[in-house]
Amino acid sequence: MKYLYTARSVAAETFRESVKNRFFTVFAVFAACAIYASLLAGVMAIEEEARVLSDLGFGLMELMTLAYALFHAAMAIPREMETKAIYLVFSRPVSRPAYMLGKAAGLYLLGAFMLAVMAAIHLSLLSLRGFPPCAAYFNIVACIWLKIVIIISLALFISLFSTSPVSTMVISAVIWTLGHFTPEARFLIEKAGGFSGALLKGAAWMIPDLQLYNLRDAPLSASGGWFQVFYAALWALAAYGASVLLFRKKEF
Amino acid sequence: MAGALGFTGLLFFSSRSRPASPFPPPSALREVRHSAIEDMLALSLGARRLFADLWFIRLMQYYGTHEHIAGEEEEEEEHGHSHHGLDFGAGNYPEFMALSRHIAALDPYFKNAVLYSAGSLAFNLNRPGEAAELLNYALVNTPREWKFLIMLTAIGYSKSSEPAKVAQIIAPLVRERDCPVMLKQLAAFLNKKAGNYEAAAVIYADILQTSKDPFYTLNSEKELKMIEKRLK
Amino acid sequence: MKRVIVSIDGAGKIYHLRGLGRKMSVAALSDFTLDIFEGEILGLLGLNGAGKTTVMKLLTGLIFPTSGKVSVFGLDPREPRAKNSIGFLPELPYFPPHNTPYGALRYYGLLSGMSGSAIAAALPVVMEKVGLAPHAAKKISEFSKGMLQRLGLAQAVLHSPELLVLDEPVSGLDPLAIHDMRALISGMQAEGKTIFLSSHSISELEKICDRVIIMAGGHKTLSVERKNWETAPGALESLFVEAVRR
Repeated sequence: MKYLYTARSVAAETFRESVKNRFFTVFAVFAACAIYASLLAGVMAIEEEARVLSDLGFGLMELMTLAYALFHAAMAIPREMETKAIYLVFSRPVSRPAYMLGKAAGLYLLGAFMLAVMAAIHLSLLSLRGFPPCAAYFNIVACIWLKIVIIISLALFISLFSTSPVSTMVISAVIWTLGHFTPEARFLIEKAGGFSGALLKGAAWMIPDLQLYNLRDAPLSASGGWFQVFYAALWALAAYGASVLLFRKKEF
Repeated sequence: MAGALGFTGLLFFSSRSRPASPFPPPSALREVRHSAIEDMLALSLGARRLFADLWFIRLMQYYGTHEHIAGEEEEEEEHGHSHHGLDFGAGNYPEFMALSRHIAALDPYFKNAVLYSAGSLAFNLNRPGEAAELLNYALVNTPREWKFLIMLTAIGYSKSSEPAKVAQIIAPLVRERDCPVMLKQLAAFLNKKAGNYEAAAVIYADILQTSKDPFYTLNSEKELKMIEKRLK
Repeated sequence: MKRVIVSIDGAGKIYHLRGLGRKMSVAALSDFTLDIFEGEILGLLGLNGAGKTTVMKLLTGLIFPTSGKVSVFGLDPREPRAKNSIGFLPELPYFPPHNTPYGALRYYGLLSGMSGSAIAAALPVVMEKVGLAPHAAKKISEFSKGMLQRLGLAQAVLHSPELLVLDEPVSGLDPLAIHDMRALISGMQAEGKTIFLSSHSISELEKICDRVIIMAGGHKTLSVERKNWETAPGALESLFVEAVRR
């Protein structure tokens, strides 16, 4: 019970700190980009305006949420260690697993909040242009969030042993891009054999399959379901477990 | 140790349960206009659809740009994209097929782009073979897509110069809400050519109501007035 | 005989530093022994790098001893009950600048296991005690160094700990702020708290402490009570110089 209470306090504080940090500039930038894109799309796409507007909106939502959440995930713990704010935390009866859980939960909440607000802006824009949202709209946004959850969890883990927040962000971004290549990687692995095939197979296991969450790219018949949630939970739990293992003996 | 084993086991199970990729492999993406880096971005950001949209805009701009053939007079270019589907749209446009195929390889589910490209190739550029090749390529990933099958049939009949038959075959396509306006324009033209003025008028009225492109809407207005006069 | 609330017995701490292809070990503390008695103000005096902060971090469970034993109220410093009995003020405490003092204190109160109502009751009292009540509505980014130090003290006393561990509490403060901080610390002792503070300022420790431990090079070199340095020629300074040069 105390564990959850502590985690909740850390999560709320993490969310609050991230939100106060030039937060709303991000939304203003999103809204400006979305409006500009809609004007361009209107001129250039004409008959495909709805599609272009939708795709641009989803793409922007995902990239901006990813960039912002990744920035905070990379900085969350190293910054507290650097500024020694962490002294004020661990000189108190705060368990390290609870702290890690709180940090992760606060960042997941940040991602969800950002996506919710940007989705509202996006839907308003679509509505203003007279286009209804696609049937899978909320599934698509939910899958974007699950993708962000996986990458944030990994970023938090990487930040514990990485030399700087920049390298954490770079490594996480590389995992992000590789995660979209997983289906293609599987195709290559099937073709490759011998030692290189085994090596590729091993490497493929270490990268989460983010293409599973790309509903915005998938055919309309596909939809998010229990498997996506289970897979994201698996990766988030694994990253959390690894983080706790690494963090438990850390000295400040 | 227990956690690591558990995770590995669950990951192994999940890897067996994962659905296969709905997209063709990266090797299906042939480079066009030095697109290698863009294609890498499309794949690595999981943004195939978005990049397919951008390539489609480029295709329309390409097709909408007048081809400069030596000796011909310069025509004033009014718009930035294609307004074909009438008896305009003829030309060489050598990159058209490559661009269309690129879009289909990026996003095989971008039906309207395939229909637009196939329609332009078959009925404007007079390259039914390439149109059929494009549709067959798209059907590999979407074998149940009836719109592609209808287009293939229409292309088949167009070779035998039966405008009425072609118009009849593509009629179900034209009734779809998201049918490319170029195909609607084509269908109206074929009906008019075959003497089915009422059917042509219905399609022109639909274009007038649903299209945002002023070139098509103005042309539809003009055609409707002509048909009205003829029917009186 | 006063109760021993902190006991450090032969503690040592070695820091392992990793560079490019090499590994370095630094002995920050060696065979350090110390008892802190209930109700006293104990000072820890030493030059920069003497190991003062290392001792403080061992007490608060931020680092773990390489050798020896540390106990706080008879418990391992890592135990939640031990941590709940300690209020720690690190050197130059950091608070998120966008926050308000109430917001920051509320967070640390929650982490100390206080309930919302207990925090709501304690906040105005603590803010008044440390002299920050007139500045409650300000953002932390607007705080001066002295105000930040007061806020640091506020978070250390919010959960009513028995032992205060203050690392360089007057570091970087102007004379007026130092005077105010000294008064606060004396006030805490009057309330029955035990205070353990470190400094490299001899005059400050002279004014406030009951007893001073002098450190040099990670070792305890001398323990001296007030009555001894008050009667020594040259006071605490001469004792310090002699102990450090030994």
